[in-house]
Amino acid sequence: MNMKKEILARVLVISLLLIAIAVPVGGYLISSANMGHVVDFHARMPENGGWSAGNITVQVGQPITLHMTSDDVVHGFAIGKSNQPAIEILPGEFVDKTLTFDKTGTYTFYCTHWCGPNHWRMRGTIEVTGAGPALQLDTEPLYLQLGIDIDAPHPAKVVPTIQPSAERGAKLAYLLPDYALSRETYLTTSPADLWLKLRAEPSISKLSDNDLWDVVRWLWERQSSPESLSKGLKIFMDFAAAAHGMTGKGDGVMVKGRPTMTPKNMGHTLVRPPDFTDPHTLLGASPALLEGKIIRGGMGTGMPSWGAIFTQQQIDAIVGYLYTIAWNSVGVSPATPTQEVSHP
Amino acid sequence: MDANSSHPAKVARSKLWFYGPVFVVIVLLILLVPLPQAASTPTDRTIRIEASRFQFVPGEIHVNPGDKVTVELISQDVVHGLSLDNYNFNLQAEPGQIVTGTFIANQSGVFRFRCSFTCGNLHPFMIGKLTVGSNYLLIRGIALAGLAVAGAFLSMWFSTTRHSQGVR
Amino acid sequence: MTRLDLTRFPKMNAALKNRWPQFLLRAVTLAGFTFTILAGLMGSVVGSHNFAIIFVWIAWWTALKLFFIPFGGRSWCSICPIPMAGEWLQRGGILEPGKKKVGSGKRWPRFLRGNWLQAFGFLLIGLFSAVTLTSSKITAIVLLAIILLSLVLSLIFERRAFCSYLCPIGGFTGLYAQAGPVEVRVKEAEVCAAHSEKLCYDACPWGQYPLALKSSANCGLCMECLRVCPKDNIAVNLRPWGSDLQADTRHNLSEAFLGLVMLASALVDSAIFSGPWGNLKMAAYTIGSREWFLFAGIFMVSALILLPGFYALCVSWANKLGQKKRTLQQALARYSQVLVPLGLMAWIAFTISFAFVKFGYVLPVISDPLGWGWNLLGLQTKAGVGQSSAFVQILQVIVLAAGLFWTTRVTRRISGSNRQSIPLILFSSVFTLGMLWLLIG
Repeated sequence: MNMKKEILARVLVISLLLIAIAVPVGGYLISSANMGHVVDFHARMPENGGWSAGNITVQVGQPITLHMTSDDVVHGFAIGKSNQPAIEILPGEFVDKTLTFDKTGTYTFYCTHWCGPNHWRMRGTIEVTGAGPALQLDTEPLYLQLGIDIDAPHPAKVVPTIQPSAERGAKLAYLLPDYALSRETYLTTSPADLWLKLRAEPSISKLSDNDLWDVVRWLWERQSSPESLSKGLKIFMDFAAAAHGMTGKGDGVMVKGRPTMTPKNMGHTLVRPPDFTDPHTLLGASPALLEGKIIRGGMGTGMPSWGAIFTQQQIDAIVGYLYTIAWNSVGVSPATPTQEVSHP
Repeated sequence: MDANSSHPAKVARSKLWFYGPVFVVIVLLILLVPLPQAASTPTDRTIRIEASRFQFVPGEIHVNPGDKVTVELISQDVVHGLSLDNYNFNLQAEPGQIVTGTFIANQSGVFRFRCSFTCGNLHPFMIGKLTVGSNYLLIRGIALAGLAVAGAFLSMWFSTTRHSQGVR
Repeated sequence: MTRLDLTRFPKMNAALKNRWPQFLLRAVTLAGFTFTILAGLMGSVVGSHNFAIIFVWIAWWTALKLFFIPFGGRSWCSICPIPMAGEWLQRGGILEPGKKKVGSGKRWPRFLRGNWLQAFGFLLIGLFSAVTLTSSKITAIVLLAIILLSLVLSLIFERRAFCSYLCPIGGFTGLYAQAGPVEVRVKEAEVCAAHSEKLCYDACPWGQYPLALKSSANCGLCMECLRVCPKDNIAVNLRPWGSDLQADTRHNLSEAFLGLVMLASALVDSAIFSGPWGNLKMAAYTIGSREWFLFAGIFMVSALILLPGFYALCVSWANKLGQKKRTLQQALARYSQVLVPLGLMAWIAFTISFAFVKFGYVLPVISDPLGWGWNLLGLQTKAGVGQSSAFVQILQVIVLAAGLFWTTRVTRRISGSNRQSIPLILFSSVFTLGMLWLLIG
């Protein structure tokens, strides 16, 4: 055997093997060393571990780069109570996002593409420390200030029988007492309660019941601009439709198989969300109550808490949109299933 | 008899030069000749497809050629997509939100539709099947298979004929 | 006999005898194999972005079935990295055999010979394929286990024990190599008869004796016999396809079993990976669940009872139609040749359906093999979802029809009459129609 050739052969084999090993191992070491202010950030379904970093600490004013990818399905990244657009995270693909915080405090980040029934749990926090101005703490939500029990049932004592028209209601507004027009009244009273209150007013007595509902609808809808309503619609579709259903009926894909909510099982088991297309559901709730449910969640029903996620503006938009669901459901028969399903 | 013109080898070879191209032409005809689709008025259809990991329900869909097909795609769990082979048709479905798209089924045959957003390990095999009209390719395939058997016998008969005439 | 002996050309002969080209290829595949294992273990869990998944199950698997086997028979085995470490230790040298040989060199047990273990190995792969093919970590673990197993076996047993008796891919490749266009044979038998020292047999890692070599199923084209023969009496022939499938070639029952397992696997894999049946895929994927056991049961029954039963029925019918009296066992073994071109073309058709759609992932995964966000090739675009074009569908039809054409010829060749070939042609036609329906139906 020719030893020279044999040694050359051995050297070749070992060299190629070393290259084969060096590429992944070396690549890994190099990228870990380079990290510094870059955080390797993996998004996974909560069942698979959720965010690879649940809590990130960063100095105020210092940029941090999140080197993001997904290990399973499409996720998204956004920071709560911020107007920055969400970032889509595709499996296997990488996206870098550099963040700089100018105020100290706790920020919440969350996933923005539904990734299974536990999607809403997919959140984490960024602690911003150091010497600098602090994040303004949230003011106490209205429902707490007013002492509203948001867990108590609130069916509307009265509901309209034909769909009210805000346009007609506008023309009758001149009959209203001043308090009816204030934002405070709007925030603290449910449509049904306000209708009852106004029904008792002598100045309103000549209005029919339906006319009065027109007025109440107008009072509600004037609180939200068209932009706000369309924002509310989008937020509802992106965040809520998976559970509440696109129509708000409480038949979203994520709650299939759950029982309907009853007084007996409410608070004890995961149930379907209430049916917003039944006017009794929402017309008996004041905006403050709805806001409370959105902010706090936690009714034992699976409804998440959104206080760290939505800005006040976004909550107002959602609430405004919710009422339109209720108004538009009056006098409408239950939704017919999609026509013409083709057979294989 | 003239030795050259009727030599067994030459006779066999000339037969091959005849039957060979005939065979090829028949194969091409079977594969490529346009077959008329059963006459049917194109209709508008709406099909609701539920996408989940890792299947489409319904997984098999049948429409007529020329139909205007509206697909309502709704995802049950994570972001899925639907991409239809041969048609430039792509949808992305966020769970809980119906996304619709429309196309005209102007190509006949069987087309697979696939999930176009990675949704987990079995994602590459999240497949459904759309049949437009009749699956003529399958019929062509069966005809070609029959021809294959017949052709095989013929080609064997050829070699034995050549062998028995002392031709190698 | 139409054979083209490559050793007749001096440059070709020198290239085949030269150890360097083959060695370099082996060194590269060994390094590639190592890299693949590391990529699978360390890299992205997203299969489409991991070198291990794309290169093992798309690139290499396709190359094997569309290139290595149809054009080179068992040629992959000559450069496969799995037995390399063991073989180098066994022969005491990397480039050429040396003095310090390592290993016990025991003979492989008689009762474990044949294709039985390989067939069962292939069935095992099929049972777990939905998970293995889609998990980079599991792919890597399987590769690692195989290469370690091969090494251990090489230290205990003589020659390429893993390759000859256990490797499911070896079973696959060997079976279809009989239809392949390459063979190693002796040039003149008289020369061997006069030569008492059997250097060629000693040198063969496959335990083959070139003088007795009548089938390419068990020859890995390593060329060792070529290199050691002092009489230069070994030929490397290019030959027509299907040359080992003749009326007078010898075959055994384990080949029939292997051939049938291959056919059943082609059907089941086509259903799972190309079909629209989500329930079937989920059943195949959720290993350990009730659905998976149901799937496994149906798979096993089809592969071990239904298909072999149908085959045996057709064979016994054909046997009765013939003039020459054979036992059922003899007939089952003889007709196993029919399963070779049928299966080879079916697997090619399935591969076209399975892999062509995903070829778009190959280049991006070379650019970012570990799925860590690298861009070594500087690519601009990402892989799309891929689709199966009309051309691809027609190609599958042609391939399946060609397979039926080919297997009908083989059937007729080994049958005594036209009538006697009908039962097996019926078998082949039913199988072909099944594949047609699964792939393009």
